[in-house]
Amino acid sequence: MSDTPSEAPVKSILPEWVRGPQDFIGGLAMVAVALFALWASSDLQGMHGFSFGAGTAPRMFAVLLLLLGAAVALMGVLKDGPDIAAYSWRGPLFVSAAIVFFAVGIRPLGLVVSAFAAFLIAALGSHETKWIEAIIVGACLTLGCALLFPYVLGLPMPMFPRFLIQ
Amino acid sequence: MMSIRSLAGACLSAFAALGAFAVPASAQNYPTRTITMIVPFAAGGPTDVISRIVTAHMAQTLGQSIVIENVVGAGGTTATTRAARAANDGYTLITGHMGTHAASVPLYPKLAYHPEKDFEPVALLAGTPILILARKDFPPKDLKEFVAYVKANAEKVNAAHAGIGSVSHASCELLNSILDVKPVGVPFNGTGPAMNALVAGQVDYMCDQIVNAVPQINAGTIKAYAVATPERNPSLPNVPTTTEAGLPAFQAQAWNAVFAPKGTSPAIIATLNAAAIKALDDENVRKRLLELGSVIPAPANRTPEALATLVKNEIAKWTPVLKPAS
Amino acid sequence: MELFANLAHGFGVVFQITWWSPSWLFGLSVPISINILMCLIGALVGTLVGVLPGIGTIATVAMLLPITFGLPPVGALIMLAGIYYGAQYGGSTTSILVNIPGEATSVVTALDGHQMAKQGRAGPALAIAAIGSFFAGCVATVLIAVLGAPLTKLALAFGPAEYFSLMVLGLIFAVVLAKGSVLKAIAMIVLGLLLSMVGSDIETGASRMAFNVPELADGLGFATVAMGVFGFAEIIRNLDHGAEMDRNLVQQKIAGLMPTRKDLVDSTPAILRGTVLGSILGILPGGGAVIASFAAYTLEKKLAKDPSRFGRGAIEGVASPESANNAAAQTSFIPLLTLGIPPNAVMALMVGAMTIHGIVPGPQVMQKQPDLVWGMIASMWIGNLMLIIINLPLVGIWVRLLRVPYRLMFPSIVVFCAIGIYSVNNAPVDVVLAGAFGLVGYWLIKHDFEPAPLLLGMVLGPLMEENLRRALLISRGDWSVFLSRPLSAVLLAIAAGLLVLAVLPALRAKRDEVFVESEG
Repeated sequence: MSDTPSEAPVKSILPEWVRGPQDFIGGLAMVAVALFALWASSDLQGMHGFSFGAGTAPRMFAVLLLLLGAAVALMGVLKDGPDIAAYSWRGPLFVSAAIVFFAVGIRPLGLVVSAFAAFLIAALGSHETKWIEAIIVGACLTLGCALLFPYVLGLPMPMFPRFLIQ
Repeated sequence: MMSIRSLAGACLSAFAALGAFAVPASAQNYPTRTITMIVPFAAGGPTDVISRIVTAHMAQTLGQSIVIENVVGAGGTTATTRAARAANDGYTLITGHMGTHAASVPLYPKLAYHPEKDFEPVALLAGTPILILARKDFPPKDLKEFVAYVKANAEKVNAAHAGIGSVSHASCELLNSILDVKPVGVPFNGTGPAMNALVAGQVDYMCDQIVNAVPQINAGTIKAYAVATPERNPSLPNVPTTTEAGLPAFQAQAWNAVFAPKGTSPAIIATLNAAAIKALDDENVRKRLLELGSVIPAPANRTPEALATLVKNEIAKWTPVLKPAS
Repeated sequence: MELFANLAHGFGVVFQITWWSPSWLFGLSVPISINILMCLIGALVGTLVGVLPGIGTIATVAMLLPITFGLPPVGALIMLAGIYYGAQYGGSTTSILVNIPGEATSVVTALDGHQMAKQGRAGPALAIAAIGSFFAGCVATVLIAVLGAPLTKLALAFGPAEYFSLMVLGLIFAVVLAKGSVLKAIAMIVLGLLLSMVGSDIETGASRMAFNVPELADGLGFATVAMGVFGFAEIIRNLDHGAEMDRNLVQQKIAGLMPTRKDLVDSTPAILRGTVLGSILGILPGGGAVIASFAAYTLEKKLAKDPSRFGRGAIEGVASPESANNAAAQTSFIPLLTLGIPPNAVMALMVGAMTIHGIVPGPQVMQKQPDLVWGMIASMWIGNLMLIIINLPLVGIWVRLLRVPYRLMFPSIVVFCAIGIYSVNNAPVDVVLAGAFGLVGYWLIKHDFEPAPLLLGMVLGPLMEENLRRALLISRGDWSVFLSRPLSAVLLAIAAGLLVLAVLPALRAKRDEVFVESEG
C-alpha cells in the first residue's frame, strides 16, 4: 500500500532513437485523438456547393491535429527531451471515484448522502488524511451545502434518499 | 422452489393491490404535495413566461405550489424525454410546445419519445403568433410584393432563423414550402443574434414570435408584413393577417400546452385541466398574457381532447415541411 | 447637459426612499431604499456565486430569475445586474486561490494569479483584481451613459464576416505569443477547437461526435471542461507524492495582504489597457468578455519588457484581464439598453426578466423606461462601489482559507465542484465528464501540454466556425467578403501583420510563452 509513483517503465519499452519520450508519447496521443475524431465524424456530410457541411470543420481540425501531433512526436525523436513523468495512482483513483459516486448518487440518494460520501472517498486519495478530523469536516461541509445550495441559491436538488421520502 | 415462487407471487399481488389502491386514493386527494412543472426552455423565454403566469394561478386553485424546473437542451427534447420517463402520478408535468410536441417528430429521427404515445394531453395554455419580418430597407412594401419578390429573387434572398428546431426555423420552412422557394437559411444561436442581424440589415427576412419583435417594429428598425393568425393582434393593430394580405395558407402559432406522462389517471388530468381553464379565465392572467401578444385559446379548444387533436394535426402539418430539411 | 440630468434621474431612482413600518416597531417608520438593498443583495449573491466553483453567471442568473418575479421591475433588474458583475469580482477568487476558474472570463486570471498565491502573494492578487474591476466598472458605466448610443453602431457593424476575422486575430494572437513549445500550444488550441465541434451542427442540426449521448447533444460545456482540466487535474496533481512540500511552502509564506506601491505602479497601465480593450469587446455580440480577458492578457505580455515574468506571478497578468472582463460585462449592457437586443446569454435572461414584468425592451427602451435604464446605469456604479467595499476586507479571509490543511481542503473542493457542475444542468453526466477531463488534464500536465490554450480553442471554435459559415452562406460562397468589408479587412490585416512579425527571426528571441501556468 504505497502510493509512491512507480518508476516510469515506459522508457525501457521505447526504442533508443526516442530522445524525448514525453513529447513522443504526447504527440502520438494527439495523433490517436485525431484519428478517433476522423472516424467519429466520417458519417457527417462534407462540403456541398458553396456551404460547409456538418463534417467539414471537425475533419479539418482533426487533420490539423493529426499533423501537429505527428510534428510533436517527431520533435520527441529529433530533440533530447524530458522523460515520461511519474504517475501516482492513489490521487487519480480516489478523486475520480468520489466524482463518479457523487454523479451516480445525487439523484437516488440526494445531496446529503452523496456529498458526505464523496468527501470521504476523495479523502482516501491522500495519505495525510486523519479520519476523525475528515469525518467532522465532511459533516460540517455537507450541512453547509445542504443549506447553501437549495435554500440560499434556490437550486432544485434532492436532499435525502428517495426511499426515505416515500 | 415453490415457496420462493409463491412468495414472489404474493409480493407481486401485494404490489398490484397497493398500486390499485394507491391510484384512486392519490387521485382523490390530489394534489397533496408540490408539483414540478418542467419547462423545456430557458427561464425568461416566451414558453417560460407563459408557464409561470398560468401555473401561478393554477397553484392557487390546486392549493399546492407548482415549481418550475427549466431544463434546456437539444431544442427542448432533452426535457421532454425526461418528462416522458417521469412517474405518472401527476406530480411531474411539462409545458410542451409546438417544437417539442410536433416539429421534433420529423426533425429528430432518433427522438426518444413520441408526443402522442408518451403523453396525456392536459390543457392548451396560450399561443404566440408568428410574424413575417424583414429588414427595414427590404424592397417589398407589403406581403403581396414580398411573395413576388422572394419568388423572383429566390437565389439572392437570405432568411435568418434562430437555429435548427427553433420556432423561427420551423415557421420559416413552412413559409418557404408554401411559397415554393428555397432561400438560403442563415442559422443563428437564438432569437437575439438573429434579430441583431435583421436590424443590422445583414439578412433579408425571418419569421419569429411576436414577443421580441413588437418594440423593433414600433421603432421602425425592422418591418412586419403580416401576422400568421386568423385575427390581427392587439399589440400590432396595423399589421394585417396573412389571410387579409393574400397568403391564407400560412397559419402558424407557437402554442404552449401542459402535458402529463402517459398513464396519469383521468381524474388527475381533469383536476389539472379545470385549474388551467380557471387560470385562463382570470382577469389578471388574461391581461398579462395579452400584454405579451399571446393568443388565449377559445373555450372549445381548452379540453384535453382538443389538445390531442391539435397535436395530431400539428405533427401532420410539420412533418412534410421539415422532413427534407433534416 | 442632458447627460447629467439623466444620471441625476438615475441616482434619484436608486436612492428612492420608502418608509418601512413593520408592526414590531410599534408605529415607527424606518427609511429604506429598496433599490439600494436590491443592489447590495445582488452584489453579495454575485460574489458568493462567483466564488463557488462550477456555478457560472448564466446558470446563476437563470436560477435566480424566478425569485425576482415578485419584485418591482427596476429593483429586480438592479439585483440581476448586480449578480452579473458581482460574479465577475468573485470569479477571480477561486482562480487565484486554488487555480479553479469558475468563469470562462477568469481562466487567464488563474495563470498568474495562482502563481502569485503560490509565492504567498494571494492578498495582493485578490486586491488588485478587485481594484482593477472597480476601476474598469466605473469607466464602463460612464461609457454606457455617455457613448451608449453611438457605440451601438459597432454592434450593428459587426456581421459574420467581421466576427470571423476577429476570431482569426484571436487565434493568431495566441499562436504568435506562445513559445516554450509553440507547436504544443498550437496543438492544444486545435484540440480545443476539435472538442468544441462536439454537439449539434448549427446549420443542419446533425449530431456531431456525440455518440447518441443526449447530454452531449448540445456539446461539451465550457464549465465542465474547465473544471476538469484546471480544477480536478490540479487536485490530482497536488496529491502526487512529493507535492506536499510545495503546498506547505505556500501556506507558510503568506506575505502582505495589500498590494505594495510597486504593485500599484506596475498594474496601473495594465488596468487602463484592460479597461479599454474590455469596453470595446464587450459591446460585440457573443463571447465578448471571454475574448476580452484573453486579449488583455496577451496584450500585456506582448508589451511587457520582460515577458518571461508572465506565468510566474506577474501582477499585470491579473490586473489586466480582470479589468477587461469587468469592463466587458458592463458594456455588454449597451446593445440591450440601446437596441433592445441581448448580446449574450446573460443579457437574454435580463430580457426575460423584463418580459415577465411586462416590459419588452426595444430601441426605444431609453425613452420609454427612463427609470429602468438610468436607474440601472446608476446602480452599476453604486454596485461596483459596494463590491470593492465588500471584496477588499474579504481578501484577508480568503487568504486565511489558504492556511486550511490541504488534506481537508481538497475533498471540500471536489464536493463543491461536483455540486456546482451538477447544478448547471441538473445532469449527473456532466459531473462524470468533468471527472474524465480531470484525468485528461492530469495526463496533459504530465506531458507538459498547457490547458489554457485548449480552453481558448473551445471558446473560439464555435464562434469561428459558425460565423465563417454564416458569412459564406450570405455571400454565396464568395471568400472575398472577408477582404471587401473594411472592418473585416482591417482585422485580417492586423492578423497577417502579427504573423509576419512572428516569422521574422529578429523578433523571435523576444517571444515567450503566453500560457505557462506552472514552472515545471
